[in-house]
Amino acid sequence: MKTLVNKAAKHAFSLAMATVLSISAMSVSNTAFANEKVVDNAPEMATLRGTAPLNAEVTPPAMSKVENNDLKRQRDYPQQPPTIPHDISKYQLDKNFNKCMDCHSRKFADEAQAPAVSVTHYMNRDGDFLGEMSPRRYFCTQCHVHQLESEPLVENEFVDMEKIIRKAHERSK
Amino acid sequence: MNKIMNLLKMGWTILSKPAVHLSLGFLTISGFIAGVIFWGGFNTAMELTNTEEFCTSCHEMNDNVFMELQSTIHYSNRSGVRAICSDCHVPHNWTDKIARKMQASKEVWGKIFGTIDTREKFEAHRLRLAQNEWTRLKANDSLECRNCHEFDSMDFTRQSKRAAAQHSSALAAGEKTCIDCHKGIAHKLPNMDGVREGGSPH
Amino acid sequence: MKLTRRDVIKAQAAATAAAVAGISLPASASNIITSSTANKLTWSKAPCRFCGTGCGISVATKDGKVVATHGDEKAPVNKGLSCVKGYFLSKIMYGKDRLTTPMLRKKDGVYNKEGEFTPVSWDEAFDIMEVKFKKALKEKGPTGVGMFGSGQWTVQEGYAAVKLMKAGFLSNNIDPNARHCMASAVGGFMRTFGIDEPMGCYDDMEAADAFVLWGSNMAEMHPILWTRIADRRLSNPHVKVAVLSTYEHRSFDLADIPAVFTPQTDMVLLNAIANYIIESGSVNHDFVNKHVNFREGVTDIGYGLRPTHELQKKAKNPNSGASTPIDLDAFAKFVKPYTFEYAEKMSGVPARNIEKIAKLYADPNTKVMSLWTMGVNQHTRGVWTNNLLYNIHLLTGKISEPGNSPFSLTGQPSACGTAREVGTFSHRLPADMVVKNPKHRAIAEKIWKIPAGILNGTPGAHAVKQVRDLKDSKINAYWIQVNNNLQAGPNINEEILPGYRNPDNFIVTSDAYPTVTAEASDLILPTAMWVEKEGVYGNAERRTQAWYQLVNAPGDARSDMWQVVEFSKRFTTDEVWPAEVLAANPEFKGKTLYEVLYKNGNVNQFPIGDISSDYENQESKDFGFYIQKGLFEEYASFGRGHAHDLADYDTYHQVRGLRWPVVDGKETKWRFKEGSDPYVKEGADFQFYGHKDNKAIVFALPYEPPAESPDEEFDMWLSTGRVLEHWHSGSMTQRVPELYKAFPNAVCFMHPEDAKKRGMRRGDEVKVISRRGEIKTRIETRGRNKPPVGLVFVPWFDASQLINKVTLDATCPLSKQTDYKKCAVKIEKV
Repeated sequence: MKTLVNKAAKHAFSLAMATVLSISAMSVSNTAFANEKVVDNAPEMATLRGTAPLNAEVTPPAMSKVENNDLKRQRDYPQQPPTIPHDISKYQLDKNFNKCMDCHSRKFADEAQAPAVSVTHYMNRDGDFLGEMSPRRYFCTQCHVHQLESEPLVENEFVDMEKIIRKAHERSK
Repeated sequence: MNKIMNLLKMGWTILSKPAVHLSLGFLTISGFIAGVIFWGGFNTAMELTNTEEFCTSCHEMNDNVFMELQSTIHYSNRSGVRAICSDCHVPHNWTDKIARKMQASKEVWGKIFGTIDTREKFEAHRLRLAQNEWTRLKANDSLECRNCHEFDSMDFTRQSKRAAAQHSSALAAGEKTCIDCHKGIAHKLPNMDGVREGGSPH
Repeated sequence: MKLTRRDVIKAQAAATAAAVAGISLPASASNIITSSTANKLTWSKAPCRFCGTGCGISVATKDGKVVATHGDEKAPVNKGLSCVKGYFLSKIMYGKDRLTTPMLRKKDGVYNKEGEFTPVSWDEAFDIMEVKFKKALKEKGPTGVGMFGSGQWTVQEGYAAVKLMKAGFLSNNIDPNARHCMASAVGGFMRTFGIDEPMGCYDDMEAADAFVLWGSNMAEMHPILWTRIADRRLSNPHVKVAVLSTYEHRSFDLADIPAVFTPQTDMVLLNAIANYIIESGSVNHDFVNKHVNFREGVTDIGYGLRPTHELQKKAKNPNSGASTPIDLDAFAKFVKPYTFEYAEKMSGVPARNIEKIAKLYADPNTKVMSLWTMGVNQHTRGVWTNNLLYNIHLLTGKISEPGNSPFSLTGQPSACGTAREVGTFSHRLPADMVVKNPKHRAIAEKIWKIPAGILNGTPGAHAVKQVRDLKDSKINAYWIQVNNNLQAGPNINEEILPGYRNPDNFIVTSDAYPTVTAEASDLILPTAMWVEKEGVYGNAERRTQAWYQLVNAPGDARSDMWQVVEFSKRFTTDEVWPAEVLAANPEFKGKTLYEVLYKNGNVNQFPIGDISSDYENQESKDFGFYIQKGLFEEYASFGRGHAHDLADYDTYHQVRGLRWPVVDGKETKWRFKEGSDPYVKEGADFQFYGHKDNKAIVFALPYEPPAESPDEEFDMWLSTGRVLEHWHSGSMTQRVPELYKAFPNAVCFMHPEDAKKRGMRRGDEVKVISRRGEIKTRIETRGRNKPPVGLVFVPWFDASQLINKVTLDATCPLSKQTDYKKCAVKIEKV
């Protein structure tokens, strides 16, 4: 237990001590509100704020556009709901009308050349297949989301099962 | 509204007075002038009814369709070119315009009797009202759309791939007209049950 | 040849992929591996670790990694569905900046509050913690230390922490972030029914004819429950959905009766509905006569601000929950002024719409489910508003039956299971007991096998008070687990940051990621999350769900429970218990808290051999006994036989959860109803046994204004909240690329007319300014939230835009829960 520390420390160290170089460049508009007793000049840690001091305000990034290139993205695993590769900001999705199904319905697949919703969408709570998409799946955006042209702040090291399986396969040979 | 009433009043005053002390020449000339004024007045009045201020001066339009328009691309967009109500809902050539305006007199009755004076009543009539517009646009090959969106000027390479694909095939071949696909782009759609199967909830 | 859309896209995709990769795909990539051993995934069950819905998740692991997650088809809550966050659970553990070793602020090799974070061993981390906690205990006594936990603690973690604080350090200064979330709901339940948590369950959603949402945006915050309501509404045209809120949001997309009301006037609307029920002759007299008492509450109770605050000084009965008995006639007289006309004037909701909603409740043939969460709970009259909601269900007898259900939705995955049932609040003990009550303390002392009379009878500091006590140097050693209070708590600038950075204080934060709270701390402990440990959660419908440890945590990260129990080894009874107690109970002398609290014959009674051989269990192996089972079984003994019965621990690993009370192996769907609840006596029909006379209480309570309303200078209401794609402060979901890219930054949702008035447009950089602080954000006049003129909505998931610098730390004076939904701000262009 106690011997584990050093190995892991190396990794943690790299993110721990962010420099304070950027502080001077940032507007410290909020100092008027800071309590006199507070000393927040200790080196910051790299959080999702970057290295911005906790009592400073940074310029928010400009609003990103929606990725609208219609290119299918790879899924992280077969069960992952595909993300939406186009703009849906003008789509009506309420009890009167579901614009998504104007193209993604089985009936319009030929006309729209959009992927028709999968067979799971026809299942009700009891697992029976209905003749139409189940109303429990009516609000598409609960599972499917668009993607903005924003670069993620932190890399994700999730490993695709395909890689692990391939490794296992190589080992077994 | 007041301006229109004043113009009408002025016209009526001129017409109703007998010509006792005036020469024929004067009458002819003034008749011509009056004609010009009347004609101009009529058209001015009609143009007034084409403004956004006029359309949204009653709350039925302001609280329902105009409110909905404001979050759409026909109201706010990158280049700032925008449509007002009459651009889409009033024909641009004179004869059709007069016909549409005469039809609109029915809408005055609707206003007086409060046919759609609450959101709920408006929702109840929304499908019928929308269908009127869809039918009209289908019949005239989406003329009011095409007044601004000229097919020949569309650069497919600057459209999204889905749009380009549809425009270069079905629209180009005349199989489809704008309104076939672009329903509900400026206002919310009514319950589309039985209208289009794809996105209808039931 | 006609090129189809598919052809175009395919060509484009191939070109793009090739351009990005710069290489052609290897031939082997197209070979499908068919070997059954290589292909096999291990699927296990676990509850989702996000909201209070408590969806069952199927988790696939392969070679020590979570590789896939989706909704569990066998889970009754969600039957195979999951919201977008739930689908991406696989990735929450794999953000590149996971904390893997303890880190201490150091200068010149020693701890220094102004030092730089430096990796240290667990031993060194516990050494300095021990020094600081012992110092605080010695100088200030039990109130000198504090702990802030969470409704995201597992049952065992919360229970272990409660024991260390309340039985070990004899300090009641332990509170969960559920204080910010469910405290008003608890207060409402205790006041009206005398027992916590909903009487109904999610099955009500398939039985109700009408759903009324009170200040809740279920479409985004409880998406899977919303799928059940959408299913019911769209499959059955007679079903009606009413949505009430201070701004229009996604739940309005399903609304038959939409209603946007002025903040705080939900109380007026509720009293107007009660008045209509009475005046229209819709009171269920048979039910009311048998099962209901009426009381009138004390008014003008203040706003939970510091006692020195002007508003607090002005209040006649600050923090009073007192009430006097009245009858139905007096109640009728009390609500008589609340006419639809008055309600329309106050709330802005047209009277005809209020009437429509009132009729849903009044019509005896319409089964109504009311649903609420933060809009009602985060409210300076939160407990009252909970009471008013129960009023209309009690007047009509629409309660405890399928479809008739006042349902308090829960925010966090185990706010019910851990924060409430275990009792990690500063005033509570397990199974709805309280520290103030000597009988309750005696029960706890007996179960915990500690000396009689040792427990502290004075309630400790609640969430907001803890922060004030830190700032005022009353609490000097403080431990934060499973939450990000520097982002989540109110009034960051004036209270929280000064409290954490106070040179007198030592702040410890246990977290999986470097949050802003971690940054403001002095010691950071790397923490195992979700399926990296074994645990139990309890959801909003009283469903208790267990899971196994499925993968190991990275590096030296350890679970919160391991941290607490391991730390207890550092203290002996002689150091923390009064000498006279030890003199009277010499057998405890010189023992460590670990021996007294966890190696007490209960917690350590199950051998490691009881652990399923299919799963890892790092903590138990470390301690040498099946600690999760031991903690659970000792905890469960509090509730068994007292209407909080839990099944035996092993059962929960087999089933997809059970709703307590679980008696003779059977769960309870509707409490207080004969035939469904085993605690209701034969012939009683209904029995509200939380109160001694078996009756529930209808409370006469008026509308009282909020703590702060817009004025000439600060001319807008500010409401804060969540978005679908992010969980709370975003520390997990912002690290999942798909969720990040779905909603990367907070924005200020504003009505287009308000923007126009200020010469602003969509995307403009603006400051949101209150009397307490300001943030910079951007204007959004479109999108999912449509506030009315005069109100803005800013979500709080974004660490780079800490909107809680702006919010006010006013609370419900009874529940001490913060009102995050209303304060006054102005918006200025940068």
